[in-house]
Amino acid sequence: MAQVPVRPVRGGLPAFLVLAGSGIAGGVLLASCSAPANGTATPREPEVIYDTTCGYCHGHNVGPIIRGRQLPAETIEFFVRNGSGAMPAFKPTEISPQELSALSEWISTSKADSTEHGQ
Amino acid sequence: MNGFSRRDMLRAGAVGSAVMASQALASPLNGTRMLPAEMDRDVFAAAIKELRSIVGNDWVFADAQSTVSYNKSFIPDPEGLYLPSGAVAPASVEEVQAILKVANKYKLPMWPVSTGKNMGYGMATPASNGQMVLDLKRMNRIIEVDPDLGTALVEPGVTYQDMHDYLEKHNLPFWLDVPTVGPIVSMLGNTLERGVGYTPYGDHFMFQCGMEVVLPDGSILKTGMGSVKNSTTWQAFKWGYGPYLDGLFTQSNFGIVTKLGMWLMPKPPVYKPFMVRHPDADDIGKITDTIRPFRMNNLIPNGVLIMGAAYQLAMFHRREEFWSEEGSIPDDVVKKAAAKNGLGMWNTYFALYGTDEIIAATEPIIRGAFEASGGEVLTEEDMGDSPWFHHHATLMRGGMSLEEIGIVRWRGNGGGMVAFAPVAPAKGEEPKAQTVLAKEIMGKYNFDYAPAYAVGGRELHHIIFLMFDKSDPEQEKRAAQCMEEMITRFGEKGWCAYRSSISTMDLVADQYGDTNRQVNARLKRTLDPNNIIAPGKQGIG
Ligand SMILES: Cc1cc2nc3c(=O)[nH]c(=O)nc-3n(C[C@H](O)[C@H](O)[C@H](O)COP(=O)(O)OP(=O)(O)OC[C@H]3O[C@@H](n4cnc5c(N)ncnc54)[C@H](O)[C@@H]3O)c2cc1C
Repeated sequence: MAQVPVRPVRGGLPAFLVLAGSGIAGGVLLASCSAPANGTATPREPEVIYDTTCGYCHGHNVGPIIRGRQLPAETIEFFVRNGSGAMPAFKPTEISPQELSALSEWISTSKADSTEHGQ
Repeated sequence: MNGFSRRDMLRAGAVGSAVMASQALASPLNGTRMLPAEMDRDVFAAAIKELRSIVGNDWVFADAQSTVSYNKSFIPDPEGLYLPSGAVAPASVEEVQAILKVANKYKLPMWPVSTGKNMGYGMATPASNGQMVLDLKRMNRIIEVDPDLGTALVEPGVTYQDMHDYLEKHNLPFWLDVPTVGPIVSMLGNTLERGVGYTPYGDHFMFQCGMEVVLPDGSILKTGMGSVKNSTTWQAFKWGYGPYLDGLFTQSNFGIVTKLGMWLMPKPPVYKPFMVRHPDADDIGKITDTIRPFRMNNLIPNGVLIMGAAYQLAMFHRREEFWSEEGSIPDDVVKKAAAKNGLGMWNTYFALYGTDEIIAATEPIIRGAFEASGGEVLTEEDMGDSPWFHHHATLMRGGMSLEEIGIVRWRGNGGGMVAFAPVAPAKGEEPKAQTVLAKEIMGKYNFDYAPAYAVGGRELHHIIFLMFDKSDPEQEKRAAQCMEEMITRFGEKGWCAYRSSISTMDLVADQYGDTNRQVNARLKRTLDPNNIIAPGKQGIG
């Protein structure tokens, strides 16, 4: 019977989900995902953030392709924090300053992904 | 063609740095507009100092530059009435309590957001200037998932993506129910707005079970079974004992919700999505009458979307590809463009869940009814790689997508969108009349009617996203006027919104009548005498 494909997830899991404390506890409850709150947790890898946020629009019919274009990192940071047109702004509580600087650098220097498509 | 060029990006970067540099000098302490009404600058500065001592310097944003992410919204705000004074981001319930103490002491209003992605309704911006955003995103723990009961207890910052990843990682046989913008929005925030999704668990508040709320005086209320000592049923039984309180904390400003219980849908063995294509704009009546009995007897179990052709086109295309005139895009142009893309004027998405036998028994009954209404019933095999079919098939199994954000740039690069969502009973004549009225009013203001109807059990949420170009001040002003006329004239017919943009909260609240407003005001005075939580939210306080 028809089963629609899940969008491929290219990266891993957000850091706070893979930290200690997960698993079946006593066979009843999954123990809490008791990682520290965002910002004090281990920063997520740029690929993970790209896959779980940016990549849903950019290169996916909605936003322009931004990989493989050597866009300046500071411009990327500006767009993320300010938003632009239809793009919402992302706050320091969503993408920490440290994560943003690594993400911008990664996008800026990343190769084009041939599976991405424009609008 | 539709993207921004590298030169645009560079230009924006240059302008951005310039703006940011000048903003850095302009602390809100230098101007009154961004401060809460009647708040002295020194008082604001003293409050900020205390907030910093609670959450640390990094998590208080009190100058124009660091607050910039909190200002972005899609809605029209031609007079600049909805700007926060700053933001504070606690990491724990104790910090929320301490912040509210400071807010009470200085009478500094706090506008809570979970992820602040209330798109089309104001994003993170407050209902009046100068409120401080209480950004709960750092509270992002999935506290508990019960694999037997399929229940979850989450904090405000948990997005649907987080829960999706969690379920996958732990190989748990449950599906989420998502709004169309799941990856970046909060399960808790969406549910408090009484948001909707498209699986059989589509009415989120219906599938919510138990809350923890910090009240304005700092005390903590656990609703339902949560207050019982040693309770094991907090996420299992909604109603508790005595008056049911959870509703008081949805679409309201009576407390800060710090935990929320939700039910998760058991993953069905078989899932089959459908699209029904209807050719004409006035088919909406027939479609509604066809769906109603199936939603009432649950043969169609999910939150059905009836998508107008213009909405569908706007997801992946721009207006200029079809129409370059200032006036509203005519039906025949929309119809032609839709047909080219395998779409009808209305495209109805429903799904069947269960086993092959159950679906084989149900499908012919539903198919027959839709065909009798003049619709073509189509499956994945028929639709091939249609991005629209794929998108809705993803939603109806609670999958992750942001494709609908594309509609925000339909009218131009500036991006602009405000939502009006009146409710209609599921009787064909009423949505038909609503469509006529919406088209007439939007036509008067030169906007395009791009609707979606989200079908509940016995009603439809008529989702009218007014798309405009926010970089054009004249259009922005016109969008605000158009919205006001729509709300007013729909209200005269008894059709009111289920939810509202921050810019029209009073207008909608008035339509629900004086007594309703007074009861809410009395509750507000009792629970929050200093009016420190989200004054103006839903017209309260
Ligand atoms: C194209 C498009 C499609 C959309 N599709 C859908 C859809 O299918 N279904 C749908 O429901 N919505 C939809 N939306 C609207 C919106 O984006 C979502 O509803 C989103 O989930 C709301 O934002 P959020 O989850 O970040 O909540 P937030 O912005 O964090 O919260 C919303 C409001 O709830 C209150 N609040 C939040 N947290 C708390 C708290 N902890 N305590 C007290 N009060 C609180 C505040 O008043 C806040 O303003 C759509 C928007 C767009 C642009």
